[in-house]
Amino acid sequence: MDEKFMLLAVVLPLITGVLIPALPFKNRKQMCIFMETGVLLTSVLVILLLLNPPSDTLTVFRFTGNLSITFRIDGAGSIFACMAAVLWPLAMLYSFEYMKHEQNEKAFFLFYVITYGVTLGVALSENILTMYFFFEMMSLVTLPLVMHTRTRDAILASRTYLYYMLGGAAFAFIGMIFILTYGTTSSFVAGGVLDLTKIGGRTNMILVIYVLCFCGFAVKTAMWPFSTWLPKAGVAPTPVTALLHAVAVVNTGAFAVLRITYFSFGADVIRGTWAQNALMGLVIFTIVYGCSRALKETHIKRRLAWSTVSNLSYILFGIVLMTPLGMTGALSHMVFHSFMKICSFFCAGAVIYKTGRNYVHELDGFGWKMPKVFVSFTIASFALMGVPGLCGFVSKWNLAKAAVESGNGMAYAGVVALMISALLTAVYMLSIVVRAFFPGKDFDYGTIRDVEDPNWMMIVPLVVFIVVMFVFGLHSGPIIRLLQTIAAAAA
Amino acid sequence: MDGMLLVSIALPILAGVILLIASFSEHLRQAETLGKKKTGVRKEQSEGMKGLHIYVGLVLVASVALTLTTAWTGERSLTLFTLLDEIPVFFQIDDIGRLFATIVSIVWLAAGFYAFVYMKHEGNEKRYFGFYLLLYGVLTGLDFSGNLITMYLFYELMTLTSMPLVLHNGTREATMAALKYLFYSMCGAYAGLFGIFFLYRYCDSLIFTAGGTLNAVTASGHGGLLLTAVFVMIVGFGAKAGMFPLHAWLPAAHPVAPSPASAVLSGIIVKSGVLAVVRVIYYIVGPEFIRGTWVQYTWMALTLLTVFMGSMLAFREKIFKKRLAYSTVSQISYILFGLSLLNETAFTGAMLHTVTHAFVKCGLFLTAGVFLSYFGYTKVDQLDGLGKKMPVTMWCYTIFSLALVGIPPTGGFISKWYLAEGSLESGIGVFSWLGPVVLLVSALLTAGYLLPITMKGFFPGGENKAVSKKEPSLFMLVPLIVLAALAVLLGMIPNPMIQYVSDIALTLLQ
Repeated sequence: MDEKFMLLAVVLPLITGVLIPALPFKNRKQMCIFMETGVLLTSVLVILLLLNPPSDTLTVFRFTGNLSITFRIDGAGSIFACMAAVLWPLAMLYSFEYMKHEQNEKAFFLFYVITYGVTLGVALSENILTMYFFFEMMSLVTLPLVMHTRTRDAILASRTYLYYMLGGAAFAFIGMIFILTYGTTSSFVAGGVLDLTKIGGRTNMILVIYVLCFCGFAVKTAMWPFSTWLPKAGVAPTPVTALLHAVAVVNTGAFAVLRITYFSFGADVIRGTWAQNALMGLVIFTIVYGCSRALKETHIKRRLAWSTVSNLSYILFGIVLMTPLGMTGALSHMVFHSFMKICSFFCAGAVIYKTGRNYVHELDGFGWKMPKVFVSFTIASFALMGVPGLCGFVSKWNLAKAAVESGNGMAYAGVVALMISALLTAVYMLSIVVRAFFPGKDFDYGTIRDVEDPNWMMIVPLVVFIVVMFVFGLHSGPIIRLLQTIAAAAA
Repeated sequence: MDGMLLVSIALPILAGVILLIASFSEHLRQAETLGKKKTGVRKEQSEGMKGLHIYVGLVLVASVALTLTTAWTGERSLTLFTLLDEIPVFFQIDDIGRLFATIVSIVWLAAGFYAFVYMKHEGNEKRYFGFYLLLYGVLTGLDFSGNLITMYLFYELMTLTSMPLVLHNGTREATMAALKYLFYSMCGAYAGLFGIFFLYRYCDSLIFTAGGTLNAVTASGHGGLLLTAVFVMIVGFGAKAGMFPLHAWLPAAHPVAPSPASAVLSGIIVKSGVLAVVRVIYYIVGPEFIRGTWVQYTWMALTLLTVFMGSMLAFREKIFKKRLAYSTVSQISYILFGLSLLNETAFTGAMLHTVTHAFVKCGLFLTAGVFLSYFGYTKVDQLDGLGKKMPVTMWCYTIFSLALVGIPPTGGFISKWYLAEGSLESGIGVFSWLGPVVLLVSALLTAGYLLPITMKGFFPGGENKAVSKKEPSLFMLVPLIVLAALAVLLGMIPNPMIQYVSDIALTLLQ
């Protein structure tokens, strides 16, 4: 396909979004149809682009020299773009129903749809400047979504959100300048672009800059000690927490880290240095820390948010292993975790939407009143725990295999952390499941008389996610082989 | 493709799932009506249970027949599909799988028919039998698995499907016990998985092969790491087998479960931990790798500690089913001790004890269930004089007790004999004589906590009141008698069994 379509894919959601408040819709249904069409068109376009990738890059805008906004489709980017293309239409469908009980829909959907374009921008960016540009934009367009409810909590959360995001971006900026100065090019090239003769003997400087840059981008993945913004941002409406704070935004962080590690700095430069070990230590700590906090938390959405903190660090763990296998593991967990976590969030959202209950201890007996939602939640829990047969096991296996293969003592500790985290996941997810289905002998169902399953708009996405979890879990060969090829080309 | 193998696993699973769906939708309707009427009263469910029993009975008999024919007619293997690119879900029937599948089938039949009567007073029969059938299929899959990943798959499924049996009665205590069970089992399973990652790296394949598949070349230089991984696996899979330090779930989970469920938990589920350890040590790592290392010694010390501790705790315990649960902790570690010795005699003893203990402990829990369901007795001192009311049941109990203590002519005697002999001929310094001593002390304690019940049951003392005899229903009595007969038969005609098991031992420990 022509490379111009890449620009179209990025811009189409932006136009759709901007038109939402501008167009005079007769009723809500019309508006929903308009938005869904816009999003679906974009997704179809993205899928077509990925199937027939244009061979050329597309430079939209050139500032000066090698500073330009340029798009290109490559392996890692296409995985990320494909994920967004599959998830967005489903999440839109869910939001139509969910947003009925929230105010100010138009403003919400405006930013929600625009974020889609921005996410695609990150996925398709060809050089570090383009990625940085969309990375920043992502912080800005999601900010209104966090403070959507305008409550005091929401304002405070969005302030935290902003500080963390801007702070992270500042560190990332240092890295970008460094790459622009010491790199042979600003583009992403497999194996890295650092010009070693320019750097001379200052290896430690590279490493310090790498660590800063890594942490800067990793703020979006909520790595410890930058993790508090994510649970706080749970005040946003559930479609935001589910799609953005479990998938798009946090994966953008992970994706950016992957880009600078394998395509800018180069894994060979970092492997075996103190920088790798230090970052791995941080990541391993986050894996356990996130899970422990999730265990302590009784607010459902915040519990899931802490679980995201931990799971995103699985992805980072795969990345800092600095091997093709590690990258395979990271990419697979990026894909699989998205499906598992968005599914659990949508279930939590369905509960909040139908009953307004927010805490785990209020869910007694819900399994029998919202069977579809809670069966989905149960399956998502099993997947997150890593029960074989569901996709979570596959990515965990690949990550652990990569860790063992790397022969790094620190990575062995990572495997231990993965197992501890799986155990804690079992506890914090299944305690909800057990509560919902086994409320106790004398439980009075009268107290939850009015609880019922939501309508098809909320159920259809759940069914799709579950099918995906099973398909990837039972037959992981094709996708893992695909990821392996991508990783082998990159590292 | 071998269809027989697949069907024998799939049939009970499908039948169980059908029942569960039925139970699920029934419960949904019930929650609906209960909510509407604002009443907390449960609908009486007595009608229509006959149909359920016929269905469960037929499926049970059919799948047991299928499993046994599949197991005992020739070598079979089956690759179902590839779960991960490099590792397929692969089934393969070998001698040890045959043995375990047979034990499982016998116990499942006995406890299944027993439950027809017992579960009446527990309610919610559809769900119980749904999970019961499902679990049978999962266990068959576990016994027939041909590689470590397949085994792990069924191991996890086993935990998840057996948990609802523990929390069956839905009290808070039961829920907490079930969560505890889940936590310990998952902890163990993940410890096992941790080891699998390393074995995958350093073994030629994860397919079970007698003598192990460890690649000496790639493993050289990583001995310490691998030993640690193996040790973590032993402790992890030992959690299911109630080995110290992960034993605490057993005394919590067994007493709250319905008695037939505790019977299969104690008789069979804990044995899956044993099977997993056998598979890892004898079929993947190879016994030679850990012989004479700290792993072997620590393992031995842990098992002996558990044997002693379990017996002591059982001796002190006043609640009948809890006492039996502690007794399981102790008895399973006999088996693990036999495995840790790494010689033929001890291995034979361990397998013999696996068989005996499965029948005996299942029988003991079923007896406890009889007392519980007919009289509501849970404490040991309530059982005085029951021998006069239910002599046959009490006699069965006595036979089970004797077998567990290890008094001839029961199966327990033979297996303990082999265990002690294996320990003496192992020649591992202090352990070779410490083992038999601990076994002996524990046997005395076992006698101390089981036999007084018989004595007081038949001779309660005090004045001799005339009591009417009332044996339990035949559905309960026949399984008890069959299990008791098996326990005696294993001691009277032990040779075929010994022959079969020592043949396995020979191939593994050449």
